[in-house]
Amino acid sequence: MKKFVLGAVSALVFATTAAVAADYPSKEIQGIIQWGAGGSTDTVMRSVTPHAEEALGGTIVMQNMTGGVGAIALNNVAGQPADGYTLLMGAENPLLYKVMGLGDKDYSDFIPVTLLARGTPILVANKDAPFDDYDGMMAYIKENPGELRVGATGPGGLPSVITAMMNTVEGELDVISVPYDGDGPALTALQGGAIDVMPAVLGAAIEGIRAGNMKPLAIFDVAKNEKLPDVPLVTSFNDGYNTYLPWGPFFGVFVVKGTPDDVVAKLSKAYAEGAKNEEFVELMDNRGFKMMGISGAEAEDFLAKWQQGTTWLLQDAGLTKASPEEFGIKRPSE
Amino acid sequence: MDFLTVFTQPQLLLLVGLGTFAGIYVGAIPGLSVTMAVSILISFTFSWDVYPAISLMIGIYMGGVYGGSRTAILLNIPGAPSAIATALDGYPMARRGEAGTAIGVTTVMSFIGGFVGIAVLALAAPLVSDFALTFQPRDYMLLAVLGILLVGSLSQGSLVKGIFAGALGIAIGAVGRDPLTFTERFTFDISLMQGGISFIAVMIGMFGVSEALIQLHHVDKAAVRQKITRIVPSLATVRKHLPLSLQTSTIGVAIGALPGTGGDIAALMAYDHAKRVTKNPERPFGDGAMEGLVAPETANNAAVGGAFIPMMTLGIPGDAVTAIMIGALFIHGLNPGPMLMIDKPDMFWFIVGALVTANFFILIFGLTGIRLFTKLVEMPRSVLIPLIMLLSIVGAYAVNNSITDVYWMLGFGLFGYFMRHYGYPLGPVILGVILSRLLDDNWRRAIISEREDFWRFMEGVLTSPLSLVLFVSVVLIFVSQTPVWTWGKALLSGRPHKVSGNEQHD
Repeated sequence: MKKFVLGAVSALVFATTAAVAADYPSKEIQGIIQWGAGGSTDTVMRSVTPHAEEALGGTIVMQNMTGGVGAIALNNVAGQPADGYTLLMGAENPLLYKVMGLGDKDYSDFIPVTLLARGTPILVANKDAPFDDYDGMMAYIKENPGELRVGATGPGGLPSVITAMMNTVEGELDVISVPYDGDGPALTALQGGAIDVMPAVLGAAIEGIRAGNMKPLAIFDVAKNEKLPDVPLVTSFNDGYNTYLPWGPFFGVFVVKGTPDDVVAKLSKAYAEGAKNEEFVELMDNRGFKMMGISGAEAEDFLAKWQQGTTWLLQDAGLTKASPEEFGIKRPSE
Repeated sequence: MDFLTVFTQPQLLLLVGLGTFAGIYVGAIPGLSVTMAVSILISFTFSWDVYPAISLMIGIYMGGVYGGSRTAILLNIPGAPSAIATALDGYPMARRGEAGTAIGVTTVMSFIGGFVGIAVLALAAPLVSDFALTFQPRDYMLLAVLGILLVGSLSQGSLVKGIFAGALGIAIGAVGRDPLTFTERFTFDISLMQGGISFIAVMIGMFGVSEALIQLHHVDKAAVRQKITRIVPSLATVRKHLPLSLQTSTIGVAIGALPGTGGDIAALMAYDHAKRVTKNPERPFGDGAMEGLVAPETANNAAVGGAFIPMMTLGIPGDAVTAIMIGALFIHGLNPGPMLMIDKPDMFWFIVGALVTANFFILIFGLTGIRLFTKLVEMPRSVLIPLIMLLSIVGAYAVNNSITDVYWMLGFGLFGYFMRHYGYPLGPVILGVILSRLLDDNWRRAIISEREDFWRFMEGVLTSPLSLVLFVSVVLIFVSQTPVWTWGKALLSGRPHKVSGNEQHD
């Protein structure tokens, strides 16, 4: 039985190697989603891919491969032949793997097919919190050191980056950081009062804000958000944030480095086309994501800058396992 | 009336029925999980309208939760984690040739449980979700401790061996990168172990492969002939178990509504509850007690309605399947969240209607075709054993499309075989794996929240009514219900108490 399974797997591998780029795609393409079903990466990829399939004229079979903060999926795709028949559908996390000691591979081993969209961080509080805005929260922290409970999702997650940013801009904040499995469970805990404040991606919090179940304190962006025009920008409280913003998680589709240029171009074109679909644009808009739709050198550049800024921010906050310098990631020049 | 949408449109009715039918089979095959089926359906139903897509998913969900009991009863291999407790008394019944009766009772009880869950969803969703939100990390921790105390009722014989098995399960659950700090635990620098050990792989191995290996002992013996005379349980039987089924349904709804706990824990807790409240079962528990079937089956189906409660009222998933359904609603242009009930109340009533329909389909499909299913156990073992092995391997691989999981599954299968051979119960291992993360994560969250001050933590436990109730329950159950107490007393009075260690295994 083992032999049968191994045989089936190796047959699959050989079949994949034998493909030719000219008539791409001549068979099914595998799309490996780094995160679990129902999550935001999953939702985004499953919404855009059918439209990209149409533009491509091929079939993309998606599957979720979770574990190791997405590293399992990344390493798996990195081990596949560079023929464009295996796509990695992921988020920003891999850019932090090296400094976080989560693996020795990241997007530098891949070519971005497309960077679809980026999310905006927002700071939300429990609806009964004893403050109503960002300044109020800062005052509360100063008066009650070590009392405020801030939600987190583990080192390298969005809350850790935002908290590092706040510590850098405002000086070390004496708060309790309570870790959760993801922003969903953390926002649930926020509504139940287990934590007081949570930095989350706007899309995850927007419905809770609309219902009045949580109150928005500040949006971490440099421009007002159309979905929540009344929520102040964090830069209006402290312009020190301008150094680090705009910053946000993003979603992208990648192929292994070495994939033929014409294959990458075909895929990029298909995804660019698919991302224009009205329903998809509306979905992204509803969840508060900003469309990016970049590829090629522009995307590479974005990834490099994102990695520089974020890894050094985490390094300065003492959250990394290894210095970005060890991997040749330069400190962003200001 | 949006509630009636499903009934008035034949197409939707057909889809719910189709889903339920498929769900029963998906649920019955160990490894093919409802979670997996529903996530595949997301892509499959992408271009459909939202109602048909949701109809199919709900059918699969309801059918799948019920279907897990089939293989648990017939083969002693739970098709899903929530059917583990069902095997404890269901399989002994099948071995007596009463598989038909067992499936009949299971079906009717699943229907009752499912109905209670839906009724609570329809009538009290906002109330229940508010209650679910008040659970703090310390409450989840206490709930996990309460769950761990179930080891006592799952041990079937030696408690010491049960505790060993439970502790082993907790250790298995701790393997991998710790989700809170990403620190590696028990990974021995092997990258494959960073993701932890798939809980489904452990379950399939321990129940599926070990069962196949045990069956090899009797490969030459003829299978038990099943009498399928009375499938639909008599009204008297149903009436007799109605009080218990309502209690365990309540457990199911409550546990199901809590984000982070689901039907698997609910079913085990319900089983324990039944064991404690049933004074005189017709047969002892673990030997084919009807109550041992009633409790888990009502609870896990009631948990379905429960899981929809936080999903519909707050956009918070009650379990893994509702998490995927939230994704599906997003894809179909809806915004699940606290505003959904206000913006789109029709969606809520539609889902309630679809659940009711699926529940009726369970009754229909559940009570027919039993003859065919029971043929499964009458199959010659030389056919059955390879079939179990095949399904186990396919199932383990399918969970994460990972060959490593297959190795884990086979390893745990072999290990489980020896555990059973030496009289170690397997239920507590799975219980430990299920509860490991719940206990560990929430204990740490709770203590971190109190600035790592144990006395502040205890103050929180004793001053919050909910925590206090849970805490007192933990203490009471620990003191009065586990054999540790009598055993300890006997030890103190100087009379060595013999723990019965000779349990039968096939």
